[in-house]
Amino acid sequence: MSEAVVQDKKRFVVPIGPQHPALKEPGHFEFTVDGEIVTGATVRLGYAHRGIEKAVESRNWTQSLYLLERICGICSHVHAMTYCLGVEKLAGAEVPPRAQAIRVLVAELERVHSHLLWLGVAAHEAGFDTLFMYSWRDRETVMDLLESFTGNRVNYSANILGGVKCDVTPDLASAILKGVDFLEERSRHYLNVVTTDEVFLQRTRGVGTMSKEVAERLGVVGPTARASGVARDIRIEAPYAAYADFPVQIVLAEAGDLEARFVVRIKELFESYRLIHEVIDKLPPGELQTRMPRKIKAGETISRVEAPRGEAFYFIKSNGSDNPERIKVRTPTLCNMGSVVATAVGHQLADMPMILAGIDPCFSCNDRTVAVRDAAGALVTWESLRQRRLAHQENK
Amino acid sequence: MDVLKTLFILLIFPGGLFVLANGMVYEWADRKLVARLQNRVGPRWFQPLADLLKLLAKEEVVPESVNARLFVWLPIVALAGVLTGALYLPIAGLQPSYSFSGDLIVAVYLFSMLTLCTGIAGANTNNRFSLVGATRTLTQLFSYEAPFLLAMLGPAVAAGSWKISDIMAYSSTHPVILLQPVGFVIALIGLMGKLEMRPFDAPEAETEIVAGALTEYSGRGLALFYLGRYAELIAGLTLMSAFYLGGIHNQLDYIVKTLVLLLALAGVQTLMTRLRIDQIVGLWWRYGTLLVLLQWLVTLLLKGMVL
Repeated sequence: MSEAVVQDKKRFVVPIGPQHPALKEPGHFEFTVDGEIVTGATVRLGYAHRGIEKAVESRNWTQSLYLLERICGICSHVHAMTYCLGVEKLAGAEVPPRAQAIRVLVAELERVHSHLLWLGVAAHEAGFDTLFMYSWRDRETVMDLLESFTGNRVNYSANILGGVKCDVTPDLASAILKGVDFLEERSRHYLNVVTTDEVFLQRTRGVGTMSKEVAERLGVVGPTARASGVARDIRIEAPYAAYADFPVQIVLAEAGDLEARFVVRIKELFESYRLIHEVIDKLPPGELQTRMPRKIKAGETISRVEAPRGEAFYFIKSNGSDNPERIKVRTPTLCNMGSVVATAVGHQLADMPMILAGIDPCFSCNDRTVAVRDAAGALVTWESLRQRRLAHQENK
Repeated sequence: MDVLKTLFILLIFPGGLFVLANGMVYEWADRKLVARLQNRVGPRWFQPLADLLKLLAKEEVVPESVNARLFVWLPIVALAGVLTGALYLPIAGLQPSYSFSGDLIVAVYLFSMLTLCTGIAGANTNNRFSLVGATRTLTQLFSYEAPFLLAMLGPAVAAGSWKISDIMAYSSTHPVILLQPVGFVIALIGLMGKLEMRPFDAPEAETEIVAGALTEYSGRGLALFYLGRYAELIAGLTLMSAFYLGGIHNQLDYIVKTLVLLLALAGVQTLMTRLRIDQIVGLWWRYGTLLVLLQWLVTLLLKGMVL
């Protein structure tokens, strides 16, 4: 052992990130370990800040839609939908019911793909690569469906302000139903695996347990909260789009450990399959879009959507011009990040990647800059940031 | 002429190059089998060789904080240990190149050099991941080594000799796998622990500690450690076939028996989740050692009754 380590022997810190095989996106975690036991955990975010909120202020309402959709590469539809719902509320536009139902349909297909993706990632973190490979193979089914539906695999851009731009044809409907039935059968198998595989259960049962009280205190959202018995789902609390017509049944678990998070997410898949069937069966006829004004009435609003990871929150402010004045995005990962630090202590180092993956983190979505301060702690204004950038470019 | 013959045996066939080449083929077979079982395509047949050539061609970075001499020599010692041990085995169905009474113990300990060197290599660096990996490597060594050795000595006790060729002669006439099923399972799982195969790959769990003890290794050093592992795979499979699967009498025998074992290894690797290091230690000391001791007792009693 070299000197640096000996000197720091009282606090042996294992850094995970910003670049680390366990992380698909940059984030920085420092775990203080005593042997293999974690005695402290800190998190540092902000490595993937892209300035999207600021960038939309210089784009018009339509252009902003496409930029905001790119906040997340997994729940892109959620971001576009949250934004559209908010802007439509500001403009007082009546979106046709068929468009709203199609939004729900795409959102649930997206939830299926997101949860299957998570299942694979979480299994990989536990070192169960077979489940990883199988679940991602099956995920291709829903990716193909989304592609044939909207034309894209990732940033579907199914939404436009005032409606959607893709319709469900009879061929597509039967393809979706067929694909969903196949996935339902596969999901049943995965539920069986994660609840009965003894070796896998050793890594998930009783690991990362978060009680209902802690979950409520930390304000966690989405499947992470529901696995701890907190009944929190925007689709039920404040139905948006067509969720009032297609009610969702909440999936809850009490244990709050990693196993519960697996079970909740897989059972939510069944709920999504049921919803997809229902939406396709009862798709209301009519128009796909309504006309939207180029300028949106001045005012401000909030818009909330249940993303696959939990509540996505948008604050939208208009000053009556072509461009949004301010858009604030809060993604579910930020709400859940505190639970990683809270549940990490006392577990083994080997459990850390799984506890982290348990909240289904999406780093680049949650990185926001609220206020920039310089070394002395003074607030840096937008104008001085501009000057700094210009000076930096001149120096080059 | 004798010197040349000895050198040929040591360096080319059946020791040295042949073991390494054979190891690379089996490594490929293992990776391909696991990949196919996981619904992946898997690597092409020359992938381990390509990896090796690439690593050998690359610069070997010696980190600042390490003991440079140790850093360079550890992979060489590890590979040399495995290759020396392989000389006492009936590789490819041939008679062992060298043999003496008690060579089993020497061979098994030479095979542990690889793990030991890996552990020291990790502890030699200043890297956090390496240090944690080294701790895990050595912890795992101490947990599987005793039961693995006991499982290997099971047939030896039954044969009444600690010489590999004698034990093989015994297993050719007795169905050892039926007489000592527990020993077989423990030895197979112990071999997986030795080779750090899943579910015993906690020492190099990539999602936790990157590459474990070998995180700082690159280029030639890493290539030599890999070669050591390939050779160990061959040695382990040969030893298992010789002791438990009725011995190795010809080349076909060798290929069939080792490949059957490899298939079993690939199956276990596919089905299992990585175990935590505390679970590994618990598994070995709580069940592995006790069961294999029980097996010993039964073997001794049976032997006593027959004689």
